[in-house]
Amino acid sequence: MTTLGFQAVRKTFGPTVALERFDLDVKEGELISLLGPSGCGKTTALRIAAGFEFADSGQVVVGGNDITSTPAHKRNMGMVFQSYSLFPNLTVAQNVEFGLKTRKVDKAESHRRVADMLDLVQLSATANRYPHQLSGGQQQRVALARALAVRPQVLLLDEPLSALDAKVRLTLRDEIRRIQTDLGITTLFVTHDQEEALGISDRVGVMSNGRLEQLDTPTTVYRHPANTFVARFVGSMNEIPARSVDGGAVRVGSSVVTTEHGLGPDTDVKLLVRPEDLRLVAEGDGLAGSVVNRTFQGASTLVWVRLDVVDTLVSVDVAGVGAATIAPGERTSVAIDGSRAMCEPVG
Amino acid sequence: MTVTTTDAVIADGGRAAGAAPSVSARPKRNWAWLGLVPFLSFLTLFLIVPAITVFSNSLKTEDNGWSLSAMKEAFTGQNLEAFRFTFTFALGAAFVGLVFGTLIAYAAATTIRPRWLRSVVTAFSGVAANMGGIALAFMFLSLLGKQGVGTKILEWAGYDLYGGDFKLGNVTGLIVVYSYFNIPLMVLAILPAIDGLKQSWREACANLGGTTATYWRRIGIPVLTPSLLGGFLLLFVNSFAAFATASALTDNSKIIALRIGFFLGGDVSIGEDAVGYAIAAWMIIVMGVAMGLYWLVRKRAERWKV
Amino acid sequence: MTQPLNTVGMFALADSGALDGTPKPPVASGPVGRPRRWVGRIVPTLVLIAAAVFFLAPLLTLARYALQNVPTIRLGWSTLFDNWSLSGVTKAFDDPQFWPTLTLSLKLAVFAVALTLLLLLPTAIWVHLRLPRLRSIIEFLTLLPYVIPAIALVAGIVAIKPHARWFLNSDYALVPFYAVLALPFTYRLIDAGLRAIDLRTLVDASRSLGAGWGGTIMKVLLPNLRTSVISASFLTAAVVLGEYTIASVILKNTFPTFQRVFVGREPQAGYGLFLLTLVITILLFVVLFFITRPRTSPRKPFVAPTESSAS
Repeated sequence: MTTLGFQAVRKTFGPTVALERFDLDVKEGELISLLGPSGCGKTTALRIAAGFEFADSGQVVVGGNDITSTPAHKRNMGMVFQSYSLFPNLTVAQNVEFGLKTRKVDKAESHRRVADMLDLVQLSATANRYPHQLSGGQQQRVALARALAVRPQVLLLDEPLSALDAKVRLTLRDEIRRIQTDLGITTLFVTHDQEEALGISDRVGVMSNGRLEQLDTPTTVYRHPANTFVARFVGSMNEIPARSVDGGAVRVGSSVVTTEHGLGPDTDVKLLVRPEDLRLVAEGDGLAGSVVNRTFQGASTLVWVRLDVVDTLVSVDVAGVGAATIAPGERTSVAIDGSRAMCEPVG
Repeated sequence: MTVTTTDAVIADGGRAAGAAPSVSARPKRNWAWLGLVPFLSFLTLFLIVPAITVFSNSLKTEDNGWSLSAMKEAFTGQNLEAFRFTFTFALGAAFVGLVFGTLIAYAAATTIRPRWLRSVVTAFSGVAANMGGIALAFMFLSLLGKQGVGTKILEWAGYDLYGGDFKLGNVTGLIVVYSYFNIPLMVLAILPAIDGLKQSWREACANLGGTTATYWRRIGIPVLTPSLLGGFLLLFVNSFAAFATASALTDNSKIIALRIGFFLGGDVSIGEDAVGYAIAAWMIIVMGVAMGLYWLVRKRAERWKV
Repeated sequence: MTQPLNTVGMFALADSGALDGTPKPPVASGPVGRPRRWVGRIVPTLVLIAAAVFFLAPLLTLARYALQNVPTIRLGWSTLFDNWSLSGVTKAFDDPQFWPTLTLSLKLAVFAVALTLLLLLPTAIWVHLRLPRLRSIIEFLTLLPYVIPAIALVAGIVAIKPHARWFLNSDYALVPFYAVLALPFTYRLIDAGLRAIDLRTLVDASRSLGAGWGGTIMKVLLPNLRTSVISASFLTAAVVLGEYTIASVILKNTFPTFQRVFVGREPQAGYGLFLLTLVITILLFVVLFFITRPRTSPRKPFVAPTESSAS
């Protein structure tokens, strides 16, 4: 087990810049997710790590060794693809054995490892079936077993869950995390699904336009986004028109919300607040508005309120069953906790 | 953890069986086959009945008895020699078509540079695969016939094409001519299979420590094999039974299709009628075996498609 | 154009994705890793150039015989540009056999197309809707014309002739046999067309909106099957207009048999006629190719947005 590092990696495809000064250090045994919209460069980073693409400049380092120009088949990495990519002409066991054969692991050892791996992903019973006889979730588990059988230094996961059904996606996500922690394998996980990234990772790297916008624990990324891009991309955000006043506060309509912006006074801003930083309060206390709709989410309820003074729709996260009796059309008030809010100048 | 995993196996296990068509089992279904009556009677009348007549005529004797002698005679002596000859050039033509068709298809599939190239190759293959017929024979007579321009150019370059025993109606000649439709046919047959090779298999292979050679040996060629075999069998069937091109190209009676034609045209003494039908019957048997293999191979190829 | 034509439809239009509207992405070629730039390029390029020479040369020499009146023996640099003319191409029009045989073949083509569509469309739709389990068996049956190729089929026809003279004496007796010869790809094309549309939903929707079966087929299914119907019709017509084996053995004066006789009588004009037919055929195939090409905005299956498609 070892570390994986990118140092000032730059990669272009024709005129498109896929990665720009990309730095990342995955610590030993750590799972880092790269999260971002389509085309942000996250897959390119992963493919450069795997050796399917090569950096224009910069280094890729594994356990202290520069592997920047090592061809893919000489890197000791396990990769799981979005499309499973099991070899259709080989059985499950032969698929898992594939990497052991190319490494000329002796027969007895190889058999033992295949059995262990299939056991690990709980598919021992399907050893002699062909990939097309398995479901998507099963195929992806075989792919995981195949990648792990060679005892790779680093595990690379390229949107491994995207092609799966919602329920399978959730269980397989937990399973990947369990196996990853059990084996203590250094892992880079690429996804466009923020829930997936927040749920599985030690740290999350949010990317946009070939740059790493923020790299931190899931909690920090969610609670303290480094910038408005991250704030908007991870989790949901209300955007309320406001105007800055002195001392870091902003004015929304007639009420003043204390925030920590560093802008001068009298700037039009957008106040970015998460639904859980809004509260429904007794009429007259906060910003008045009327309930438009409510979305029951199980543990909490999202209440959609149109604020009178700024004519903006906001969602308020009400924990527990507190919102069960709120009906559309009802008058209410919303209080804003500005301590974690962000301000973005408008225009 | 264990519980949730098992759940997942069950949850998506149902899909593993594959997409069974949703057949609503209506009570009327017993009569649904009646809808096939027009199609089946058409096939019977205009294909099955003639085929059966070929067999019955080859088994019938002049005094309305039954005998296997015509079938035997159709597979001995000169007739056997003709079958040998036809097998040889049909296998050769299929093999040449297989090799060059696959090469061209692969070249077209992997060349991205001029974008129109792939379309041109596909479109032209569609045309050329249809060019079997008398026109094709005359195209090659004008190129490689004794008075052909190609022959003249070769002669000018110092090679006497007709110095040896070359003839357009011999094995080599027929292979060259039939390649004109066999190669494009192979291109059309193999292109979807080549497209079906996923880039990620190659990447997965490299990721697991395999070289390009490993990829082709263990994945690429095995995955293509059913389609290659299927294509080969089709080309064989095609070359074995082609009549029009051969008839305009040569009068070589060692070509089975032409031999059947001679019998049907009445170029033989009365009483040998049954032998003509028996040769046709043997041809049907050969084609049947080849197409049976083709069917098996194709079913296999379909399994890997998804 | 006897046997080879049958095979083409099996792949040409049915399996290459032309019908389901999803163009195949080009297969990336290079080995994984740094591309070996020119080695990877030069081999495919050489293969394609060699192929172009092999496939164009016979066409060009055919054209030369048709258009240039210089015997090969006298052909050289000095005579290369002598005696070119189009007169050989048009000479065939004056032959008394030209128009009757061409008309007969065109009529046979029209009837064979009609028979094919009338027989196969309802059958294929029926199989898809009511007998999906038999799809594989029907498909197998449609391959039978390979097992019984034209030359064997015509042997059977000759054998039957004494018992069905009233039928086989007519020129139009060729129609059903030509429909049979075209079957492997006509059925395949229509079957592929039906696979590409959600047949049951379309039928259910149409029926629930009050359309009868006739209306459903004419107004809903046919427009959706446009590509496969056009291709199937075209290829059937191509079989008929090129079929030589059956017609020549049972002595019918179709256009291909006329061509064969004519080239024996008037070699240069015969070559000219072949050239003309080939050029027209190629043009029609090109037209067909563009008609049946997937539209510019194909219906893409829904896929989760991923980055891999961008890179």
